[in-house]
Amino acid sequence: MSHVFPTASRRKYQLIRNVVVIWLTAMIVAAFALRIPFINILEHTARNLYFHVPMWFTLMAAVFVSAYHSIRYLGSGDAIRDIRAAEAARVGVTFGVLGLLTGIFWSRFTWYQGTEIWWNWDPRQSMAAVELLIYGAYFILRDSIDDPEKRGKIAAVYNIFAASTVPFLLYVLPRQLQSLHPGAEGNPAFSEITDPVMRLVFYPAVIGFIGLFWVLYTQRTRLRLMEERVEDIRFEKETRGDTL
Amino acid sequence: MSDWLAGTWAVFRKDIELELRDRFGISVLLMFVVSTLLLTMFAFGQQQIEVHVQAALLWIVIVFAASIGLGRAFVSEVERGTVLLLQLHTRSSSVYAGKLLFNFLLVLSANVLAGIAFVALLNIEVVDIGLFATTLLLGSLGLSGASTLLAAIIARTANRGPLLPVLVFPLLIPLLLSVISATKNSLVGGGGWAESGEHLVTLVSFAGVVITASVLLFDYVWKD
Repeated sequence: MSHVFPTASRRKYQLIRNVVVIWLTAMIVAAFALRIPFINILEHTARNLYFHVPMWFTLMAAVFVSAYHSIRYLGSGDAIRDIRAAEAARVGVTFGVLGLLTGIFWSRFTWYQGTEIWWNWDPRQSMAAVELLIYGAYFILRDSIDDPEKRGKIAAVYNIFAASTVPFLLYVLPRQLQSLHPGAEGNPAFSEITDPVMRLVFYPAVIGFIGLFWVLYTQRTRLRLMEERVEDIRFEKETRGDTL
Repeated sequence: MSDWLAGTWAVFRKDIELELRDRFGISVLLMFVVSTLLLTMFAFGQQQIEVHVQAALLWIVIVFAASIGLGRAFVSEVERGTVLLLQLHTRSSSVYAGKLLFNFLLVLSANVLAGIAFVALLNIEVVDIGLFATTLLLGSLGLSGASTLLAAIIARTANRGPLLPVLVFPLLIPLLLSVISATKNSLVGGGGWAESGEHLVTLVSFAGVVITASVLLFDYVWKD
């Protein structure tokens, strides 16, 4: 059993990776250095917009990538698709946790200053929590099956099945829970509270973090492929040693 | 088509007959429901519980009971060694439909009992019985729809026991929220049918989506 490495040209890959690194560095410097307009309650914590919101975009991107590869795995049975789905989910979970943490700390020390509220039942926060629960279950399920082919198939089915219920959260949660986020009832829309200067950093930040996701996810995929190859070689050597 | 229906009916009949032979699944479900309700009754004592809490309690008990009871559907086939026979004899969509039907019946009977016991034991007034019953029915449909495919999934894992709650709870949150709101509306001080429309629509579409997705995905779980 041997795996073919993804056929990306090495130089192109390194180029994109370096662009992402430089892009993100510039974005982080700009996020702290650029002047921002005064916003009531938020004040300088408004800079968290550059970090908190892109985390969500990245989680969403990861969910899509993971579900896409799960669907492709069921179609082709190609082992790399399963690895890609699992690694996209793993890196997505990291971004989801960071998004939750940045959101929780942000709201705790601005809107909830002076109260003891850490967790608020904001629809988006709840949805992210559910998404993380789903991936938690997904990884537990993966761990409980030994045979790689079977594991890939069952995990892909669960991934797709779970993804099909997530749109209901988009519909149900906002009707049941109050939101802090822009665009919700009684809150100003996103474009009203953000200054052009902030958007100048915000959009590149979204692209930068999705780029970071892509780099981490492809690196992890390659790592897993190499681990499997090492395993294969060791196995081959051992069996040959036995016959000699 | 008639072939498919006959296959579905045969799977359903087989499960019913096996269930009637030892009554394991249904007794576990019923005992679970009754003992949990008794526990909550003792926990709350004489206190009057708020309407929202009443609805939430009922559905949390039901969801836990279902996640324990419905996990057996395919595990029992593995334990009896009848998986291969079913695979050879019946189309996989028939197997799914038969199992879904059986699970639906199982969870519905448990829910009806839970509803009655809940109303009787916890001193709860149901104003709109029609709405209460509709909610139980649609809730059971969504519950069995979401857990039948997952029951087939856990039958393929190494440690088949306690995995179903972990897998199914994250998916049930939209169902749980709508079903609790609708139940609340059917109790004293609730909004009745007038305010339950969107919740019932959500329940119907939830059941539709999970069952459709299950039908599409079931082949991959069932066949090697």
